[in-house]
Amino acid sequence: MPSGALLFQSVILGLLLGGLYALLAAGLTLYFGIMRVVMIAHSAFLILAAYLAWWSHTELGIDPLLSMLVTVPLFFGCGVLLQRLLLARLRPVTLTMMSVLLTFAIAVVIEGLLGYVFSGTQRRIQLGYGSASLELFGARIAVVKLIAFGLAGVALAALYLVMKKTTFGWALRATIQHRDAAKLVGIDTDRVAGFGFGLGLATAAIGGTALSLDTTIYPSLHWHWIGPLMAIIVVGGLGSVPGAAAAAMVLGLAQSLLQIELGTTWAQTVFYLALFLTLAVRPQGFFGGRLAQRF
Amino acid sequence: MTIRKATWATAVGATLALVLGACGGDEPEETTNDGPIVVGISLPLTGDFSEPGKGVQRGYEAWAKITNDNGGLLGRQVELKILDDQSNADRVVADYEQLIGSDQVDIVVGPFSTRLVVPAARVAQEYGMLFVEPAGAAKEVFEQGFKNLFYAAPAVANDHYNHLAEYLLALPAGQKPTSVAYAAMDDPFAQGTAYGLKEKLEAGGVKTVVDEVYPPNTTDFSSIAAKIATSKADMLVGGSQYQDGVNLIVALQQLNYQPKLAAFSTAPTSPEFAAAIGNKTEGILSPTGYTQQAPYPSNKEFVEKYTAQFGSPPEEDEANAYTTGQVVAAAITAAGCAEQGDCQKKLIDWVRANKVETVVGPLSWDETGKPQGAHMIQQWVGGEIQIVLPADAKETDLVYPKPAW
Repeated sequence: MPSGALLFQSVILGLLLGGLYALLAAGLTLYFGIMRVVMIAHSAFLILAAYLAWWSHTELGIDPLLSMLVTVPLFFGCGVLLQRLLLARLRPVTLTMMSVLLTFAIAVVIEGLLGYVFSGTQRRIQLGYGSASLELFGARIAVVKLIAFGLAGVALAALYLVMKKTTFGWALRATIQHRDAAKLVGIDTDRVAGFGFGLGLATAAIGGTALSLDTTIYPSLHWHWIGPLMAIIVVGGLGSVPGAAAAAMVLGLAQSLLQIELGTTWAQTVFYLALFLTLAVRPQGFFGGRLAQRF
Repeated sequence: MTIRKATWATAVGATLALVLGACGGDEPEETTNDGPIVVGISLPLTGDFSEPGKGVQRGYEAWAKITNDNGGLLGRQVELKILDDQSNADRVVADYEQLIGSDQVDIVVGPFSTRLVVPAARVAQEYGMLFVEPAGAAKEVFEQGFKNLFYAAPAVANDHYNHLAEYLLALPAGQKPTSVAYAAMDDPFAQGTAYGLKEKLEAGGVKTVVDEVYPPNTTDFSSIAAKIATSKADMLVGGSQYQDGVNLIVALQQLNYQPKLAAFSTAPTSPEFAAAIGNKTEGILSPTGYTQQAPYPSNKEFVEKYTAQFGSPPEEDEANAYTTGQVVAAAITAAGCAEQGDCQKKLIDWVRANKVETVVGPLSWDETGKPQGAHMIQQWVGGEIQIVLPADAKETDLVYPKPAW
């Protein structure tokens, strides 16, 4: 039986990890909601953003957080272009399946380019505050993890406000709920879909920067992330941002706690077990809406 | 019918060619005694292992040059014949067949990378050739029953920490660490180093409180670190390569875990290590097979002349190749011969029975060809990594318990 201190420490680590998962899964579920697109390249963009943060820190000497001033607008633009130029051209009937192939190709291209430019060597940002931590009832919270968690929280809150409080957000949600009806009330759904895609990719820029603060990155790391993220959005309910966030927190916590008994290798299986269980028992997900049934 | 005739003609022709070829091969062999000693090697000069492969090549080249500058062996010059196996295990067999069979080299030495050593050694064994190799540290290499193979390095992975184990077990009861946490990458080399020490410490009554294995490419070490930190183990042993060791240390620093002793394989000897963990390196231990500072007599000459030849000091790959050359040279000098045939048996018997002084210290082998030594133990003391064990090679005293990181 693990000690109380270890349990408490693991709960904290799990929550911090869950926050990062939540942000990353939010973008992924958004794409599916807007366009029924399965975006395999989401985590590749995530790693790309992490590399850009690392590069700007090592080469230009600026804090990785500042790199977001460039990467967030850049990724937003990329997302819009990606949707308008590539994904919008796929035939609606086979969109979901073909988008897997298309974004798979994009992921491989990004991975290849990262390997070509930065080599396969593992990289890590060396920050002055990299090993600093705060104490909380005997447990330790690393400053970098807290910053990453904070970034995720702020980004998710911003995303929530955009979706709920702005006209663009209403249009986006209308497009997610019923594209044809949205068109009928005069929403330019193509434009909205493009911006929505950009928004999703912008979350990858923030997530990648948060990720780069405290882990090692290498070009093929995105394969390590896409599986858990896919599992999270299915468990949360495809297309539901709050659902993805909730599922991310639960699964992140579960992974962290299972590592105590099972070790690193087996704890990762929690995502896939949750995926199987969800598909078997509640295919529409535990938090989300009707979209999954149509998937 | 014509086909059969043609086949016959080809066969006869080929046989004739072989006979002639063999005769042709014989003639220079009579004069080899004043010609150069040709050393055949297959190395991965292109492909996945080209980086270390080229390092090994430089080591062999430095050995040939230094030997020749000192007058050669038995009054003959040393000449290297290096083939490129393109990091491909299938090619390595063909390469050694060619070197021994058709090129008629006098001596063969080993290729790079453990998995190429076994097939190459098998070819050498068929021809009864001595096979000294710079890169076969895995257990399997010594389980094949080779009678001709010798690994030219101080120790296999499991023996890397022997000096440290001896030191710790000899400490008085009050000071001896009582609990140890182990975290090792799921990799035969990295795990071998940590588990070699674990076996010895457990046999000496030191308790294992954490024993974690993580997959290669793990990037998040916070859970493993949490387990180690809450166990409050006196000592931490990491079976690491490079980045995993750094990540684990940073994760442990974040949890403010302060062991009395911390040892990691490979990572601490890397030039980027200090910066990677925020320069909090003081007291971290690492076993090492080779350092430029090692006080062995031939090492000084090696470092100096190697640096003059290549412009930068040698690393471990280069040193292992050089060591291989030194072992072969010692055998040739003692046996007084260097050619295929009966001479090889003399060379093998000599290496088996003797101790050779090399740049990594004195080496001797058991009947499987496994080296009988242990790695030196280095420690970060005063901002640089220095040899602390064994006593006869140390640059400074071991610091125990280690300062906080």
